[in-house]
Amino acid sequence: MKAKQDYVWTFVPHQHQGVAEHSGENDHIHSPKKHNGAFKSRGLATFMGAPYCPPDRKAIRQMGAKICFLACPWDQGQIVRAGTSQGASGLREATTQYFPYMFEYDVDILTFFKVVDCGDIPNVPGNNAKSHDLIDQYVSECLEGGAKVIMCGGDHSLPIPGSRALSRYKKKEKIGYLHVDAHLDAGPDWAGNKITNCSGPARAIELPNCSAQNMAHMGSRNSLNPKDWWDFYVDNNIRVIPMREVVERGIEACAEDIFKIAWKGTDAVYFSWDTDSIDISCMPGSTSPECFGLKGREAIELARVAGKYGCDVLEVVELAPYFDVSHMSIKMAANMIYHYLGSRARTLIDQGKTA
Amino acid sequence: MNPAKSYAHLFSPLGGDAGDNYRAPNVLTFLRSPYVALNAQALKKSGARYAFLGVPFDEGNIGKPGSEEGPREFRLASQEYFTYWFEYNIDLYGTAVDCGDVSMPKVSPDVARDRIYRAVREVLKAGLVPILVGGDRSLSIAATKALSDHIGVEKKMGYLHFGAHLDLADSWAGEKNLAPCALARITELPNLAATNVSHIGARNSMNPKDWIDLAKDRNIRFIPMREMLKEGVYETAQGAIDRVWKNTDAQYVSFNFNVMDASAAPGVTSTEPGGLESREMMRIAEMIGMKKIVTVIDVSELCPVFDVSGTAARLAVCVVTRIMAALAKARGEEIDASIRRSDLMAG
Repeated sequence: MKAKQDYVWTFVPHQHQGVAEHSGENDHIHSPKKHNGAFKSRGLATFMGAPYCPPDRKAIRQMGAKICFLACPWDQGQIVRAGTSQGASGLREATTQYFPYMFEYDVDILTFFKVVDCGDIPNVPGNNAKSHDLIDQYVSECLEGGAKVIMCGGDHSLPIPGSRALSRYKKKEKIGYLHVDAHLDAGPDWAGNKITNCSGPARAIELPNCSAQNMAHMGSRNSLNPKDWWDFYVDNNIRVIPMREVVERGIEACAEDIFKIAWKGTDAVYFSWDTDSIDISCMPGSTSPECFGLKGREAIELARVAGKYGCDVLEVVELAPYFDVSHMSIKMAANMIYHYLGSRARTLIDQGKTA
Repeated sequence: MNPAKSYAHLFSPLGGDAGDNYRAPNVLTFLRSPYVALNAQALKKSGARYAFLGVPFDEGNIGKPGSEEGPREFRLASQEYFTYWFEYNIDLYGTAVDCGDVSMPKVSPDVARDRIYRAVREVLKAGLVPILVGGDRSLSIAATKALSDHIGVEKKMGYLHFGAHLDLADSWAGEKNLAPCALARITELPNLAATNVSHIGARNSMNPKDWIDLAKDRNIRFIPMREMLKEGVYETAQGAIDRVWKNTDAQYVSFNFNVMDASAAPGVTSTEPGGLESREMMRIAEMIGMKKIVTVIDVSELCPVFDVSGTAARLAVCVVTRIMAALAKARGEEIDASIRRSDLMAG
């Protein structure tokens, strides 16, 4: 007979050799006392050093995790150069260079959210549909476990199964969908294929509880944007904030706009954030980087505004460490998530709420 | 004007044996300056204002290695530039000497730190401004102590720190003199008041809570990147600089170019997104020079193995030499604007 396993959220900083040596719960937000912490001796390189939790709703509930990290090494739903299957590994590597304490918000995001790493989502090579089903299942488990999801890709076909999972989880309510990207990604299909990285918003609008008035796109620029993608937004009357408008009006005002749209009368928001929304100089490690994008400081400001409003799934995609320079892209991606979580925690604390 | 001085270096090469060949610097020194042994008398005799010291020391770092290649790359990048600055009509020729690298024992960080300390003392004794290029940031601990001891407890010093991280660990894994402890050690110097310390550029979460707590305990004024962007980059930078020069006898300026956005300086040990742009740093360098006086400059954490096309090294050279040029301008050392290349050719 199999013994029933209890999952308890515990975090033992890597500088301690087990729970018995761990002198206090706050050790991990201070400089290491015994050896070089996570910096050159990393232990297991999980996201943020967070404990592993099986992607299982009961385990997630038992641990009380409010943020589940899901890595998605899926790279065959896309039409551009390969390399995003290593994205989440790169992101985990980058988080070993950071503390979970953020002075800008004076919060410890690891323990505030009881962050867990649920590992990598499995996939079926050569089969986009089956791989998407697995992504759908994993995101669903985390949501059913009462957690919000941080998902790192992987290619930008992820929002198709991801938003499908959120839509089903919130089937009685309405959801919002945000797409921040250099590319409009709104093809009805690509050479007949309807579930590639070119069709996130086009599939989101087909969800039963997601409508055009709660959708928005920001960061679009340059000409990897064929006319049918643009027509999608015009014909459906979906708000698009092209990069040029971001430059003119400032990132803060534009970010406020899209989050207000997404949260207007809805109960959940899916935030799909493509790394190529960021300028190629700050994010060379992306599959189709573009000039004239957000600078690092603007991306951090967007994360801050996003944290003010919150979302149910934050998905960071198209991170391709093969093309990175001096860790700048993976660290940028880590900061997109960290500043989101820091700002989110600060907002909730200020509102007297818990995670 | 000094008639004994040659002016050929101001212009494009003239050709023939007399002209410098731009791509053949012969010996690699900072700004093609002469090598002068690290000896106070020799330095004094040189008549220079600045003495360059390479500090290839990487044993105080806690993360990515590679900064011991920093001095080499910095010297190499400096070959690409002229000593003439059209923006200020200033010629830096003859203002610097290169004292080579501080010799490193390897695997004996205490010995290395002592050598850094003694090298800085020697340069200061000669009355020159040391320009140290590292090497990891822990070199600033030894070098600031050298300045502090040089001026003595009766005099006051100021300290300006550029970087994405606060480096305020009282100890790190039990060690007290590592790069993340730099500002913690420096702010313990007896003649450095907290009111004369400024930190510029802090951001992101490689700043654990004990660093923030120590900053509060010691009243250290740090201007996070977010505050700079909200309140104005130049206004806040000017305020930070003014604190350091206010009623002080000596000023120490310390750069880790991870204060820059990762895109502007990829070749540093720990890149951070969301930092300063190079156009902003150029103006800040000028603000420093406009103070007319600086006692020590250091550059740490350059990491050429991660650099792209010399981006970070060239930026570092431009910042240091711009401080030198702006300082000369502020002191009224402009050159005769009437000198022409054709005069040389005729002569």
